[in-house]
Amino acid sequence: MKKIIQNRYLLLFFVFSSMLFANRSFAQEDAGQEIVKLHYYNSNNSIQYLILESTLKKNKVFTPQKDKTYQIYLDSAGTNLIAKVKTDAAGKGKAFLPPTLKKIWDASPQHTFIVKAGDEEIISDFIITKAKITIDTLNLDGIKSIVATVFKFENNTWTPAKDVEMKVGIQRHGGVLSAGDEETYTTDSTGSVTAEFKKLNLPGNQKGDITLVAKVEENEFFGNLAAQKSVKWGVPTKVDTHFFEQRTLWTTRFKTPYWLLFMAYSIIIGVWGTLIYLVRQVIKIKKLGS
Amino acid sequence: MNTSSNDKQITDDLMPQKFSKSGMIWVGILSTICVIGAYAYYRQLRYGLGVTSMRDYVSWGIYISNFVFFVAISLVGSLITAIFRLANVAWSTPLTRIAEIIAVSAITFASLIIIVDMGRPERLYNLFAHGRLQSPIAWDVIVITTYLFISLFLLYVPLLPDLKIMNQQKNKNSAWQNKIYIFLGSFWKGNSEQVKISDKIINILCIMIIPVAFCIHTVTSWLFATTYRPGWDSTNFGAYFISGAFLVGAGGVIVAMYVFRKHYHLEKYITELHFEKMGRIAVMLSLIYLYFNINEYLVPAFKMKKSEAAHLAELFTGEFSIMFWFAIMVGMIIPIFIMLFKKGRKPLPMFITGIMIVVGAWFKRYLIVTPTLLHPFLPMQNVPDNYKHYFPSWEEWAITMGSLAGALLIVTFFVRIFPIIPIHETITEQNEKDHSK
Repeated sequence: MKKIIQNRYLLLFFVFSSMLFANRSFAQEDAGQEIVKLHYYNSNNSIQYLILESTLKKNKVFTPQKDKTYQIYLDSAGTNLIAKVKTDAAGKGKAFLPPTLKKIWDASPQHTFIVKAGDEEIISDFIITKAKITIDTLNLDGIKSIVATVFKFENNTWTPAKDVEMKVGIQRHGGVLSAGDEETYTTDSTGSVTAEFKKLNLPGNQKGDITLVAKVEENEFFGNLAAQKSVKWGVPTKVDTHFFEQRTLWTTRFKTPYWLLFMAYSIIIGVWGTLIYLVRQVIKIKKLGS
Repeated sequence: MNTSSNDKQITDDLMPQKFSKSGMIWVGILSTICVIGAYAYYRQLRYGLGVTSMRDYVSWGIYISNFVFFVAISLVGSLITAIFRLANVAWSTPLTRIAEIIAVSAITFASLIIIVDMGRPERLYNLFAHGRLQSPIAWDVIVITTYLFISLFLLYVPLLPDLKIMNQQKNKNSAWQNKIYIFLGSFWKGNSEQVKISDKIINILCIMIIPVAFCIHTVTSWLFATTYRPGWDSTNFGAYFISGAFLVGAGGVIVAMYVFRKHYHLEKYITELHFEKMGRIAVMLSLIYLYFNINEYLVPAFKMKKSEAAHLAELFTGEFSIMFWFAIMVGMIIPIFIMLFKKGRKPLPMFITGIMIVVGAWFKRYLIVTPTLLHPFLPMQNVPDNYKHYFPSWEEWAITMGSLAGALLIVTFFVRIFPIIPIHETITEQNEKDHSK
C-alpha cells in the first residue's frame, strides 16, 4: 500500500514536471518572431539614408521593438560598417551613408545592404541599384506641367529608367497631392513623366510658393527616391495677425490692455508711493531723535 | 499704588523673558522639524519635483494648500491691528502685536512656500523679468510683497516707544538684545514731534493695509476662480476667501492669546474679557464663513452639472468626504455652538475652539485645491494609476510641517526679543483709566 502511495507521488511529480516543461516550451514558442525590414531613401539626389524597422510578431500581433541594436553594412559584412542603429519607441532606427564609404559607394552601380544583430546576419540580400530623380517645370500656352525623370546608374552613366511608377504632385501637410487626375504616373521610354498641373489656386506661403514633388516609393530596384522644387504657382497667403495684435488678457506681456496697465500701475504707484513717503517719515523721526 | 510703580509693574510684567525649560524644548522641537523640512527640500532640489506626489493632474498639492492657509491666517494683522484701531476698539491693545507678528510670519512663509512649489527656485527671476501683468500670479506676487512690507512696517512703528523702554532697561537685557534695540530704536525719544509723525504713519498704514489685505486674499482666490474648473468656477470666491481668512486669523490669535497668557502669566493683561470679545467676533466670522460655504456648495449641488457632480460627490460622500465634513464640522459648526454660550467663551474652551478653527481651516484649504484637480473636464485616460490619486509624499509633508514650524519659530523668537504686549500703550491706557477715576 505504501509503495502504491509512493508511486502515486512519483506519478504526480512527473505530471507536474512535464506540465512545467510543457509551459516552458510554450513560452519558447510564444517568444514571437522578429521581423526586420530595411528601406533605402535618396532625397533630392544628395542625401542617402536607410531606415531599419524592427517588429515582433507574437500571437498575430505586431509590436515595435524598442532599444534593439543592429549593425548595417555596405556590400561586405564585417568590414564596411555604415552604422550601428538603436531602434526607438516606434521600432525604427535611421542610418546615413558615411563619407568614409564614398569610394565604395561610387565604385559600383549596385549595392547590397547587410543587417546583423550581434553575430547573426538578419538581412543579406537587400540590393539597391543607384538611381536619381529630377524635377522640372514646363509652361506651354499657359498650361503648366511638371516633368519628372528617373535615371539609373548603368555602365558608368546615368540612363533613363522606364516603367517606374511614381507620384508627381504638390507637397501638402498630409502627403503628396497629385498634380493631375491620376494618383500615380509611370515613366516612358525616356524615363520621364509629364503631369499637367491642374490644382490651380492652391494656397502657398506668404510669397505664393508651393513645393512640387516627384516621388518613387518602395521600388524593388531603386528603393525610395524623391525630388522637390519650389515654384510660385500658389496663391499668396495673408497671415491674419490682427487677433494677436490686439491688447487682450491672453496676449503677451507687450500687449497688455491699456485699462489694465492704467489700473495696475495706478494702484502700484499709489500704494508704493505712499509707502516711500512713510519710509521718509521714519527717517524724519530718526533725524528728530538724533 | 502710584503711577510710577504701576508703570514699573507693567514694564516688569511685559518685558521679554528668557526661554524656560519648556520654551527650550518647544524651540528644539520646532527647529528639528525645520531641519527635517530643509533636508526634504534639499532632496527636492537634488532630485526634482518627482520626489513629490504631484503629477500631471494634481500639480498644486499640499504646498499650494499650505500657501493659501498662510495667506489666510495673515489677514488677522489687518483685522486686529487696523480695523480695531480705526474703530477705536480699546480692548484690542494687548492683541495688536500678537496679530501683527502672526501676519508677518505667515506671509513670510507664504512667499517661501510658493518658491518651494516652483521646483526650480532660480526661475523666480523669470517672473519679474518676463512676467505678464495680465496674469493673476503676477498680481499675487506684487500684492504679497506689498502686504509683507506694510505688515513689517505696522509691526515696527508701534514698537518704537517700547524700544525706548527696552533701551532704558539695558542691565536687564543681554548684550545682543541691547544691540538690536539700539539699532532699531535708539533714535526714539518720544517727543511730541516724533509721536505726531508716528501716529500719522500708523493711521495711514492702518487705512492702507485693509484694501491691500483684501487684495491679497481676493487675488489668491482669483488664482483659482480665473481657472475654468469644477469647484473653482465661482464668482463667490473672493468674498469666500476673505471671510475664511478672517475666521482662521481670529482662530490663530485666540490660540496665541491663550498660550502667551498661560506661559508668561499675562492674566492681568489678556483677560477673560478679551476671550469673551474675541469669542463673539469668532462666532460672527464663523457664521459668515458658513454662509459663504453654503453658497459655494449648495448652489452647484442644486444644479448638479455633470462636471461639478463628480467633484461634489467626492466631497460629500466620496474619497474626500471624511475630510470635508471634518473641516465643516470642526472648523465651523462645532466652534459656533461652543462659542455661542458664555461658558464656551472662557479661555480654555476658546483655546480648544481656536485650535479646531485653525486645523479645520488647514484641511479646508486642502479641499479647495486638490479634489478639483482630480476632476478635470476631460476624463483621465492612458495615465499611470498614481496620476489619478494624490497623497503627499514624505518630502511634501516634511517641507509643509517645516514651514509651519518655521512660522511658529518666528513668533517664538519675536516674543523672546520683543514685548508681545505693547508696554507703552498699556501704560498710557492704564494711566488714562486712573486719571478718569
